[in-house]
Amino acid sequence: MVRLKHRYLLVNILYPGPVATPRGKDQQTLPDTIQFHKPTSDSLTPQMLMRLIRDGVAELFGDYGVGVVAGSLQVKYFSAATSTAIVRVSRAHYRLVWAALTFATRLPHPLDEACVMQVVRVSGTIRKSEEEAVRRARMGIRKAQSAGTWMWDESTIGQGHGNVGSEGGSVGGAEAGARPGIEDIEDDRSESGDSGD
Amino acid sequence: MTPQPSAPGPPRPLKRKDAPSSSNTAGSTNHNKRRKTQVALDASGPSKRKDAQSFSATTKNARHDKRRQTTKDARAISSQASSKAFKNGELDVDKFVKAREYEIKALEQGMARAKKALAERAFQQVPKELRRRTASHNVKRVPKRLQRRAAREMVEDKTKSDRRKPSRHMRLRIETAKRLRALSAKQRARKDAVVKDQGTTNVQSDQRPVSVKSRKPRVKKNALKDPPPAPAKFRKRQIGKSWLPTHLYHAKRAHMTSPKEPLWRYAVPLTPTMKSYRPTHRASGDRGAVAWDMSYMATVSLAGTEQSLQGLLRALGIGVSPETKQLWETRGQRWSLGTRVWEGWLYCRDSFPLQAIAPATVIWCAENEPTSVLGAVAEEKANVQRKTVRKLLIRVHPSAFHQLWDEVLRLAKVQKPQVMVEDLRFEIGSIEITGPASTEALLGALWPNTSTSCRDWPQGSVEATWSSLAEITNPATLPENVLFGFDIVDPRLHHPPRTIAIPQSTRESALLSTLSKWPCDQTQTSPKLFDRNARLKAARALPSQKAINRRKSFAVPGTYPEPKPSDAQIPILLYATRNLQSRNGGQSRAQGTWNFLLPWKAVLPVWYSIMYYPLSTGGQPRFGGLREKRQIVFEAGVPWFPGDFPGTAAGYAWEVREREKRKEDWAKRPRGKRTEWSSVDLGNGKKGEIGDGWACDWERLLTGMAPPTTGKSAEAAGDPSSKSDSVSPPPKLCHITSAAASSLLSGSSPLHNIDLSTALATVTLDLLVRGVPQTCARIYRLPSSSAIDPTAISLRNSWLALVPTPESRRRGREQKQPFPSRLRRDAPPHVVHRQLAQSLLKPPQAGEDEYPVCPGEEDLIGFVTTGNFNLGEGRGTGIGCILLGRVLDRVREGRDEGMKGRLCVVRNAGQSVGRLARWDIAG
Repeated sequence: MVRLKHRYLLVNILYPGPVATPRGKDQQTLPDTIQFHKPTSDSLTPQMLMRLIRDGVAELFGDYGVGVVAGSLQVKYFSAATSTAIVRVSRAHYRLVWAALTFATRLPHPLDEACVMQVVRVSGTIRKSEEEAVRRARMGIRKAQSAGTWMWDESTIGQGHGNVGSEGGSVGGAEAGARPGIEDIEDDRSESGDSGD
Repeated sequence: MTPQPSAPGPPRPLKRKDAPSSSNTAGSTNHNKRRKTQVALDASGPSKRKDAQSFSATTKNARHDKRRQTTKDARAISSQASSKAFKNGELDVDKFVKAREYEIKALEQGMARAKKALAERAFQQVPKELRRRTASHNVKRVPKRLQRRAAREMVEDKTKSDRRKPSRHMRLRIETAKRLRALSAKQRARKDAVVKDQGTTNVQSDQRPVSVKSRKPRVKKNALKDPPPAPAKFRKRQIGKSWLPTHLYHAKRAHMTSPKEPLWRYAVPLTPTMKSYRPTHRASGDRGAVAWDMSYMATVSLAGTEQSLQGLLRALGIGVSPETKQLWETRGQRWSLGTRVWEGWLYCRDSFPLQAIAPATVIWCAENEPTSVLGAVAEEKANVQRKTVRKLLIRVHPSAFHQLWDEVLRLAKVQKPQVMVEDLRFEIGSIEITGPASTEALLGALWPNTSTSCRDWPQGSVEATWSSLAEITNPATLPENVLFGFDIVDPRLHHPPRTIAIPQSTRESALLSTLSKWPCDQTQTSPKLFDRNARLKAARALPSQKAINRRKSFAVPGTYPEPKPSDAQIPILLYATRNLQSRNGGQSRAQGTWNFLLPWKAVLPVWYSIMYYPLSTGGQPRFGGLREKRQIVFEAGVPWFPGDFPGTAAGYAWEVREREKRKEDWAKRPRGKRTEWSSVDLGNGKKGEIGDGWACDWERLLTGMAPPTTGKSAEAAGDPSSKSDSVSPPPKLCHITSAAASSLLSGSSPLHNIDLSTALATVTLDLLVRGVPQTCARIYRLPSSSAIDPTAISLRNSWLALVPTPESRRRGREQKQPFPSRLRRDAPPHVVHRQLAQSLLKPPQAGEDEYPVCPGEEDLIGFVTTGNFNLGEGRGTGIGCILLGRVLDRVREGRDEGMKGRLCVVRNAGQSVGRLARWDIAG
């Protein structure tokens, strides 16, 4: 029997822009990492995320892209409170979805907020992406707690595990945040090298 | 057919059919009528089939949907609304952390729930060692507690049960059994009728006939013993071989020797059917225990005066060399008093150190009078001792038994007074057990016998000492070669065994003082195992399983049956040994081994008690076959008799047997997939394997290069039909034991009577670089440093360049990588340069052009007899044999250069890559 092979993309939604809060002084006291990983609005539903991806694929790869992706695309998990999602897609075409996510710059219409969709893990089983999400959540907690007492410096970057530790250095907004993202992607590619195309 | 709205059915077709009928009620025009009938007609044909079909389909669908829904529910991960992550609509550290904590919990729960929802059949739940091949088809193959569930699942999954029509042979047997049963029932009925008749007429004839006392069989002294007559049921299967007492246990669970090819005239378990390479390694060293039924080991009993026994043992080579002379003085006193055993090599009559027979264990029988005065032996006492008959046991491997038997018999007759020799082969069996939990398992199985009901023995007695050893996790911590002799109760009376209470460390000091004082030296009485009558009595007193079961059923629930004075007392001899010459010197991890001897008939009950003992660390002891035995000694770096001693007769026979087997395996393979020995590239333009590729070709090693036959033998190798000309007579190889070999190499004692050209010594091989030596691998020495040939010198130097320096060794261990990791793309230039320099300075790897070729055949010194990846060491090691004459000069010339004299090159048979190794004399 032929087994359907999937890839699970763990996606983080990041908000590089300044936080639109009425009181400016709060903004200063809050650590950057919290602003960066702030919760997504409740009005973003998994269906809207699906549509965003589908539209992105349609824009980049046309009807062909939509056709090959549509059969398997599914949002397995979406947590607005932590801006984390797990997206499932067939193994052969996960790169199309990845590209669509990468090129997405704004949330869909009613929200219309500037964002970065970062694919942090590509795995063959949902379990591994869940484990990665747990690991990242733990790291987020550590960072948020320690950021409350003192600001980040270089020495804390190495605390995390492996490639992802560098994400702690995301002080300077989108540009700084993009670089670790690229590194992550490189690592992911080497892990899932079997996708072969 | 008209639709019936009231009929229960699937919703969709009804709806379709309802529509026209409802419209029909409004107005009854012709048009409508026609339409109605048309629709009805249209619907009638297909709808009938559809109805029936869709009915079953929907019930199926409903079930499917329900299942789908449950899976979906199980896989859903709960998530939190983002409003929870804000505090009054603003970002907040506390809420941020809370949201992530919630996510972690949700994901972990989700993972657990999804795993639980996976469909798992009952037979998949059982642990690995309880899995059975057809458990998915046969409910009886899963444990009892799961059988009901398994049966239900089989019905649900529509699994076909494994009930086949019995085969022709089976049918015959079933019919015969049925007929026999009917016959016996008829006979019994007739007998009952007769008894009833007699009971009414004559009361006295009801008594049982008086048991006829059978004549005692005469003890056969100085004669070989026949195997015991097998039960009629199994007699045909034991022609030409004997079964071990635990044969039925092993035959169900292990690969045995094939019926046509028994090993040493026994059906021996070779290896468990379960995969067990790594579990055996773990159980023997880390957690658990491994046990073997070693009843195939041969036991010889000698009885005579102490003087003649000593003379006999000396003639066999015990304590004759200057190093071991002390065995007959103060050092061996405990041994000759019967509280220690001796293990070592036996030799042919007066030929020490040549003509080794086999390693053996010699056990003296302790005497009953207190032997508290260790040192002082009074003169008058010596006189008495000269008269009293003493006994001893010699335990030897069955492959060397006949050789030893002949030798002992000859020697016994020349002693004055003569020594009585008795063959105890099928009278005494033995079990061996090793591993950290071995002591615990034995304590659970071997309960010392007690005349009173309480289990209290006098302080310091053998039984008390034995019972106080529960904390010991390694038998090697006991005094060396320590011996216990006592009686145990029938283990079936306390079966199934229960985990013993292991005392906490508060009593550690008591154990330590026991170990240091060892009170058994004073209290050991004469073990009953040496007494033939006691052995026979124990064997006869063993009650039937039926009787045991009856007693157990009378016992209070949860308790074992009360001991009775008429219970069997099984005499045993228990001793602990350690692997003396283990790798890395005296590493503390080396496990000792418990051995115990007991009457042949008592082996099975004890075996079951050990095998079902629940260890305190979980699980039960494992059992091993021959392969596990070899694996464990190999991991300890100890050679195994007979396989690693081709210099002895038994070892050479083993080699010939294995050679035949390997040759068959090779010949079985298709031409394209087997090694073509004649085309093996040996470097320097030489082609063709040295000698037979499937053999440790000692003949070729001794005769040297025989130019006319080399090509031919390689040719003949390809043709299996022309091979079996004749088994060549054993070459005059001579095994030199480790002590003699080391003294020879160190030059301390020149042994003039050794023929160096045929003297073989067993060595351990440590590979200095990568690679795993295999059995039959060729061992070469390095070319001599004083060679005239410049190519030989350069070859030697290029091999020596491969010797890792201590510094590089350490680095290699740190990195654990043969190759440096790939550089990052943006690595700074100085890192790139450093790596380039390192790669230029690195010694050549196998496969590269600069890698040195193997030395020529003139430098061949021996073969690897056992080689494999060593789980204990984490790399490949080997045990082999080398000709001492060929390495003597290398060792002497390299003495001042450290280990250079003991470097060698190991090349697997059929391969051209040699690996640098270092050899050392092994025990």
